[in-house]
Amino acid sequence: MARSVLAMEPMVASNMLTAGKADPLARLRIYQNNTRSSLTAVLMAVFPVTVRLVDERFFRFVASEFIRRHPPVESRLARYGAGFPRFLKTIDTLSDMPVVAETARLEWAIAEALDTASLQPRTLADYDKTDLGPSPDILLQPSLRLIVSHWSILSVWTAHQHGTAVDRHCTWTRRPERVALWRAGNSVRLVLLDRADFAFRHSLKHCLGLEHAASRAHALEPNFDLVSALVRLFADGLVTNVRITVPPLSN
Amino acid sequence: MSRAFQPLTIPASAGIGLRSPHISEMLTRRPSAGWLEVHAENYMGDGAGVDALEKLREIYPLSVHGVGLSLGSARGVDHDHLQRLRRVCERFQPDLVSEHLAWSVADGAYLNDLLPLRYDEEALAIVARNVETVQGTLKRQVLIENLSAYVAFADSSMNEAEFLAELVARTGCGLLLDVNNVQVSAHNLQYDAKAFIDALPAGSIGEIHLAGHATNQVGADTVLIDDHGSRVPPVVWTLYQHAIDRIGPRPTLIEWDTDVPVLDVLLGEAMWADMLTASIMFSRKQAARQAAAAKPRPMPTLLCFESARTSMPVLAAFAAAKARPVMPVALPPMEGGIPCCRLSICRPPWRARCSPWNQWSPRTC
Repeated sequence: MARSVLAMEPMVASNMLTAGKADPLARLRIYQNNTRSSLTAVLMAVFPVTVRLVDERFFRFVASEFIRRHPPVESRLARYGAGFPRFLKTIDTLSDMPVVAETARLEWAIAEALDTASLQPRTLADYDKTDLGPSPDILLQPSLRLIVSHWSILSVWTAHQHGTAVDRHCTWTRRPERVALWRAGNSVRLVLLDRADFAFRHSLKHCLGLEHAASRAHALEPNFDLVSALVRLFADGLVTNVRITVPPLSN
Repeated sequence: MSRAFQPLTIPASAGIGLRSPHISEMLTRRPSAGWLEVHAENYMGDGAGVDALEKLREIYPLSVHGVGLSLGSARGVDHDHLQRLRRVCERFQPDLVSEHLAWSVADGAYLNDLLPLRYDEEALAIVARNVETVQGTLKRQVLIENLSAYVAFADSSMNEAEFLAELVARTGCGLLLDVNNVQVSAHNLQYDAKAFIDALPAGSIGEIHLAGHATNQVGADTVLIDDHGSRVPPVVWTLYQHAIDRIGPRPTLIEWDTDVPVLDVLLGEAMWADMLTASIMFSRKQAARQAAAAKPRPMPTLLCFESARTSMPVLAAFAAAKARPVMPVALPPMEGGIPCCRLSICRPPWRARCSPWNQWSPRTC
């Protein structure tokens, strides 16, 4: 019956079911429709810019196929849609519009960030009288997501926000963009980063330590300004803790 | 880390389902609402809604309503999901917890709909085992909600009401009577809605749900769709009246999930539920007084008179609301005769706890 509801198999035998004087198979289609339409609504809520990029009717068609092939595996619908950007890449019709799947990837990161805790940020003043040692661990907001794309996904996303007029004749260019986003209260902040700043935050996010993060950034950009980068991290409310690392004892 | 909340008992009056478009207004305005109910699955993450619910939990009594446990699954309930539900209960310390008599998971897929069971001994054993697992994990009684259905299994050996009554007997669970679901299923499957309610063990009913439904015409078939997308229709109010008449006041939730209107519409529906309950109980007390007067007793009736007076303010408000011209609001008047009015009775949350029926508790029944 479950596979019938997901339209993965033909309908169950009608003599299994009853629906008063009505046709039970017609009634079973109500469950099919409920499942498809409610999950489509979930995807449309998570990927609103993608909907606008491809037109709602086409999005509904693609969503319907995605739901049939990849139904949710759990009832937390906040987790449903992780595989949708990758699925979009497999759609032939979209093969000459890779920016669609890439923008969907950004939207999924936004959805993930919105469902992640926002911890109390620390300020630089919190560490005024603390000796942090040569390479402290800087812990960042767990909602921080870092995305690099060959396409100008943040520009596309921004152009499709409410109140922004979209130029329908605009062709989105292939231009790499590195985006950092994190939850700030009820919304998400998104910023564009250069290569060095991206590498710096990426290293810190993966707990590789300040020294490693700074050296990676310097390798990409010899003029990387560590102090400015640190000040920006605190100003963005991204630092949740600074831990002093104890060097291993040598005999 | 869980914080300690003051226990807030859900009163036997009306509450509303908390929906995301209303959260900010609930936080700033803190309107009178007897209690709130949330879908457990919406609060299993760490998003902004969770922070907001922690603030609201300090003010309003809370009910947690699960939609994803799939109690009818023969493979048992999903352990991970049950643990998430446990953490939600530990975090928000709700007064009531409920789930559905349904299945929604099969072959590893979650259907995001509530499907009916075959009502027989085998399914009863499965659901009873699952309910016991849930109650054992949460260390509390859960309320099980009757389903809205469009089909039934032809070879069921009992009806849904009998199934629920037996489930209560086996597991000690409570029941959540969704009156709209009764109406939808009774129409779609052609049985007597009032007889369904009468067949349930009244003492086990710890909560009632009210909602609207859609009417769809498919060929010759008129089917009611449980869409929670409109006001409670007159036929559901009538059935609610029958339920309250039979079982007495219960915590009653106004559910609205699609095309969610402004908050005042939900609060208005909750007010009507309270007023209808108050008028039923007042009539019942009046009838009892008249019966007592017909049979004179040596005892003075002062106590009885005082008790009846506790309902009067609400009844007076009801009469005043009926007499007063309808105030227009953002939404058009309700179809079916009950006028839409701005919620002018701003009952503070704590007032609900002073209801004459707030002694009733589902866990003491």
